[in-house]
Amino acid sequence: MRPKENIEKFVRVRKPHVTTSRQMDKRTLNDSFAAMEQTIRAKPADHKPSTARIITLSRMMKLTAAAAVIIVGISLFIAHQGPSEKGGTTRVLEVAESPSEIMTMKSLTIAYRRGGIKGIENQCEKALKILGPQPASISLGDLFNGSNG
Amino acid sequence: MVEDKILVWKFNRGSKDALRRIYEKYKDDLLGLAITLLRDRSLAEDVVHDVFVSFAGTAGAFHLSGTLKGYLSTCVANSARDRNRLRSGRDAGPDVVEAAGSNSTGPMERAIGREESGQLNDLLARLSYEQREVIVLHLHHGMRFREIAKALGISINTVQSRYRYGLDKLRSILNSVVTK
Repeated sequence: MRPKENIEKFVRVRKPHVTTSRQMDKRTLNDSFAAMEQTIRAKPADHKPSTARIITLSRMMKLTAAAAVIIVGISLFIAHQGPSEKGGTTRVLEVAESPSEIMTMKSLTIAYRRGGIKGIENQCEKALKILGPQPASISLGDLFNGSNG
Repeated sequence: MVEDKILVWKFNRGSKDALRRIYEKYKDDLLGLAITLLRDRSLAEDVVHDVFVSFAGTAGAFHLSGTLKGYLSTCVANSARDRNRLRSGRDAGPDVVEAAGSNSTGPMERAIGREESGQLNDLLARLSYEQREVIVLHLHHGMRFREIAKALGISINTVQSRYRYGLDKLRSILNSVVTK
């Protein structure tokens, strides 16, 4: 009885050494080249994978894309829901009650942003209305000191 | 292995030289496999031809997961099985032995090769097609049982049992030849 290894060796060393004929090589290569050209001509876009395909194929790209989407989402949320300059101005203006507060640089800047020179004029008129008629010789400091400034 | 990866990369970009190199590298092995399985040289040549033409048709989208030789051997084995079913048991006979060794280099080598491969072919011809397929893929083409099972779409236990029964049968045939 031959051992298993001997049989395996017997089969392995008797592997047939065959070579193809020239006719077969020519026929096979010609037909293969034709099939290859036909395939490449039929779908040239396949060589350049789309962005969506790149993202779905690569795990790293998936994570990057997800992170980018989250960042953009958060940015948009902050831009729409966060404190706007307009809201901030309203709050400042609502708080500013005394003429000195109304005439601060911050209040005037906000007024200018909202309505330009006209806005500053309105702001000044508002302060003057609260102060009422005053003598022309009074200094700016005394003017505001005398009215809850 | 690395060379194959580079060849496949070039092949996917439409390189004819890469396709030619792949063909020249594996044509003899694949033809040998087809001849052993089918025992008919002209049928075997058709099988190898069809496998390469369909392989060329995958240019640009071919994805290699294992070895290129394993992939092509599997294609040849599957195509040979289909051809074998089609011819429904018709056997090529002794001319196959002549065909298998006919293209060896020197006259002495040709004679020895013809005798040895002919002896093996005669023995393998007495096995069932399925047993012959598993034995040749494992011993001549270095495919693992797991790879063969995956390629043929059968369980690894089936592959192992076919291999074992095939070798047992070969052994008993050889023993009977020795005792005669």
